Amino acid sequence: MIGLLKSMATTMKHALDGNTFTVEYPDVAPDVSPRFRGVHKFSQERCIWCRQCENVCPNDTIQIVTDDKRNGEQYNLHIGQCVYCRLCEEVCPVDAILLTQNFEFTGDTKADLVFNKEQLKAVPWYKDIDPLESREPDRGAWIGEGEGAVDYQ
Amino acid sequence: MSTDLTTTADQIDEDGLEALIGDRALTRDDHKNAPGFVIRPDEVQSVLFDLRDQAGFDHLSCVTAQQYDDRYESIYHLKTYDDPTREVSVVVPTPVDEPVSQTAEPVFRSADWAERENFDLVGIQYEDHPDMRRILLPETWQGHPLGLDYDQDKPQVVKFAQHANPLEADQHDTESDTMFLNIGPHHPATHGVLHVKAVLDGETVVDVEPDIGYLHRCEEQMCEQGTYRHQIMPYPDRWDYVSAGILNEWAYARAAEDLADLEVPEYAQVIRTMSAELCRIAAHMLALGTFALDVYGDFTAIFQYAFRDREVVQDILEDLTGQRLMFNYFRLGGVVWDLPEPREEFFEKTRDFLDELPAKVAEYDDLLTGNEIFQLRCVGTGILEPEVAKQYGCTGPTARGSGIDVDLRRDDPYGYYEHLEWDVITEDGCDNYSRVLVRMQEVEQSAKIIEQCIDLLEEWPEDEREIQSNVPRTLKPPADTETYKAVEAAKGELGIYIRADGTDKPGRFKIRSPCFHNLSALPEMVEGEYIPDLIASLGSLDIVLGEVDR
Amino acid sequence: MSTLEAAVLQADGDTYLLPERIADLTGLGEFGMGGELLAAFIAAFIVGNLMLAMTGVAGPWAKRKITAAFTDRIAVNRVGPFGLLIIVADAVRLLAKENIIPEDVDRPAYDLAPIVVAGSAMLGFAVIPMGSGVQLADPEVGLVYVFAVSGIASVGLVMAGYASSNKYSLLGGLRAVAQNIAYEIPLVVTGMSVVVFAGTLQLSEIVAIQAEPLIELGGFAIPAWYAFVNPFAFVLFLAANFAEIGRNPFDTPEAPTEIVAGYQTEYSSVYFVLIYLGEFLHIFLGGAIIATIFLGGPAGPGPAELGIVWFLVKIWAVFLLTQWLRSALPRVRIDQLIEIGWKGMLVLSFANLVLTAILVGVIVA
Repeated sequence: MIGLLKSMATTMKHALDGNTFTVEYPDVAPDVSPRFRGVHKFSQERCIWCRQCENVCPNDTIQIVTDDKRNGEQYNLHIGQCVYCRLCEEVCPVDAILLTQNFEFTGDTKADLVFNKEQLKAVPWYKDIDPLESREPDRGAWIGEGEGAVDYQ
Repeated sequence: MSTDLTTTADQIDEDGLEALIGDRALTRDDHKNAPGFVIRPDEVQSVLFDLRDQAGFDHLSCVTAQQYDDRYESIYHLKTYDDPTREVSVVVPTPVDEPVSQTAEPVFRSADWAERENFDLVGIQYEDHPDMRRILLPETWQGHPLGLDYDQDKPQVVKFAQHANPLEADQHDTESDTMFLNIGPHHPATHGVLHVKAVLDGETVVDVEPDIGYLHRCEEQMCEQGTYRHQIMPYPDRWDYVSAGILNEWAYARAAEDLADLEVPEYAQVIRTMSAELCRIAAHMLALGTFALDVYGDFTAIFQYAFRDREVVQDILEDLTGQRLMFNYFRLGGVVWDLPEPREEFFEKTRDFLDELPAKVAEYDDLLTGNEIFQLRCVGTGILEPEVAKQYGCTGPTARGSGIDVDLRRDDPYGYYEHLEWDVITEDGCDNYSRVLVRMQEVEQSAKIIEQCIDLLEEWPEDEREIQSNVPRTLKPPADTETYKAVEAAKGELGIYIRADGTDKPGRFKIRSPCFHNLSALPEMVEGEYIPDLIASLGSLDIVLGEVDR
Repeated sequence: MSTLEAAVLQADGDTYLLPERIADLTGLGEFGMGGELLAAFIAAFIVGNLMLAMTGVAGPWAKRKITAAFTDRIAVNRVGPFGLLIIVADAVRLLAKENIIPEDVDRPAYDLAPIVVAGSAMLGFAVIPMGSGVQLADPEVGLVYVFAVSGIASVGLVMAGYASSNKYSLLGGLRAVAQNIAYEIPLVVTGMSVVVFAGTLQLSEIVAIQAEPLIELGGFAIPAWYAFVNPFAFVLFLAANFAEIGRNPFDTPEAPTEIVAGYQTEYSSVYFVLIYLGEFLHIFLGGAIIATIFLGGPAGPGPAELGIVWFLVKIWAVFLLTQWLRSALPRVRIDQLIEIGWKGMLVLSFANLVLTAILVGVIVA
């Protein structure tokens, strides 16, 4: 009987202290860790079309189309199929593909979640967190670089 | 079972094994982890009986099956519960045109499900097996998907009517006093898509048969199609997907590092140990919460409190790994990142969690273990005797709740565990209550480990923080190296068997799932009990269907 | 539902009942039998809707808020102030859903069950003195009547369980019957110990007797509520009542994790609403009985006109208690439940009755 009363006292204590641990999600933007891996951002200016990301991707999420002179034409990424393992970012020699902290992406159909290179470029930075900086401090992302070509040589 | 023979068994070394098996061994086929003996398919039982009764190998850890061009092969990975580093593999080749092998089920009950799985996926027939049916794939599946001759393009499932045997008599018995009840696959308390076929006499469970495979996702095959270096690591997170990800990653990392002889820097081992124990806390919190849910019957306080506390762990893990469930944090030869900067903040956050934990554990004691109705429900229900547990290959908290003192972290040390102070928890109750107690105390032990890791990491000299050893970009272990390595995951012994075929992808990748074997013991635990105890026992096993079905 | 009852049951002359008051106020009494019937109907309408409104608040809103408080969450807060309009939203949602009737159900029984479950609880409120003159009827056998009509619910539950053509429903229905039989007896026997004290079955009389002071403590009079006179019987009655209405830790007939939802597994839309309402009505009826025979009914500080407020406060306190228990107590197993009922509660309740009888006999002697 004492055990029962103790249980009841415990829950009542929680009821009366008024603390809640859930958040009102869309009204309150949740804090994500700076290392969090969300939707990708891609920079065509940086990309050297080496196809390493395409090869390392464990479930064929990235599709790259180049012409016969190895000039890149398309860069498509299915963010609905992606497992957010970040291997593409890890192998990229020029930091052309990054995973931002954005996680709020929806689509009505599967096709809506296939992003081409323009859509991938338009993915906004989340709360101005530099994703690469927070993960691997010796590699900084291009968060402050603005538009335009990057001379990586 | 012959626990009295273990004293003599300890003296048996490799030569002794050779002598014991004698002429029955056709040849040797040693694996990296253990000596291997190739035997004839009709001598499986006699060899395994001898190994069990005279050499003390009382744990059939895993049964792997695979097809080569010229033969099928079943591999029985044997261990002892007392010392899991004593291992032996029994390799049973069978010809391609007639893949029939003697069953090991009379020796080890755990071979029952394991051999059914091999039959289902690879296509080896086990003679005299009591129940040679498919286990993961539907009854009406055509072909054996891991066999070499499997044609993926042909239709794989036929209609049930085409498949049914017209000569088979209708099993329906109108005179019977029992009632057949399908519990699941859509039931509030099956922890995923599990289907339990139950036969009831009133409220009493007369017979149960877990029907699994609803969540089979070809995880083994997916790993066989990924490269060792990068592509396999994201997948272990998805076997036991309730926040035990890092523990699973470690299973793969350990097996692959053994296969390719990779060293892991000590600093990375400490980080691995810490993150793995964080995962264990998160997984045990969920187990606790869902078990309370099964017994209390509503999404009530304890479930939510457990989730709240698990949330803190997940925040820490998110800071460390960048993800809350699918971490992909380990790499072969280390981990991907060092601790997040500023390190002090991370240490403080983790320490805060550890400081608050005792108060929270005390709260669970008040809510759960001290509650008389909870005791009424859990003490003496779902009894799993230690001998039975060993027969079924139960490991982890399930085995430790039956008083079996087994923990791979201590017995087969890996990571940094052997340098740390902590205890293996066992309880002798063999019932649902013991299993809950084991998990709750393991949370405290994990906290102890984490605390020591934090101390170590804090004082680690800055220039020696090596997180990854130098691993080549493409790994190609020599062909026909085989290894079976296991780690202590949240649910028990999670083992990986890998056979290299000389390419950068594994030739065979076999997952020994602890949940799979723990679940197979369910009928022993619940027959003769009431439906509520069936649900509670199922909850106390803490299965994750993603890992059962793979 | 309660109109007929109210009209049929002979009103005692001592209390000024709601139908009479309405008849007098509106002048309906002058139209003879027909007018009185109409007045009774209006009175029943008022009381019935009051109770339905309470369940309406309790089910979709209060229960969520209370559960959330116990589990450190926020709960409904988007629709209207404090999320109160969720009641409207939920009502529309539930009623707009398709009423799925499985193929093999036993039709009349399946359809009747929800009505029986909800209706039996409504009937009980007919004789409860709620204070402020709100009482529909005051028969001399009031207490027995309440126990009798609330017991009808078991019939509804077994109808629902048996007619649904679902094994989980069947198990739930059987559990409900086993449980109700096991706990009805201790419930009634414990109630009888109050009758032994009060010497009457009439609820208004029981309430009136409790108004007398038990002891004076420094100018503060503790009323002779039977909860204070015989706390043991009170606890026993509370426990039996929770089993009777199927609340934690005795919620085995529903047992969501074991038998899905018990007897209500196959009900949807309007039928589900009725069963759900019926459950809450039974909680409130249980609370009303407890308040009436143990907590002095509508008694409380302040003027007598506040009676109904105090009465509702007591009912809600019992409701709160059910939710509190739900947050903290595990469900007992069905065999343990039956064992507690037959081997524990029954014995204790008879012991209580005998002791009370002896005690009362000694005092009278």
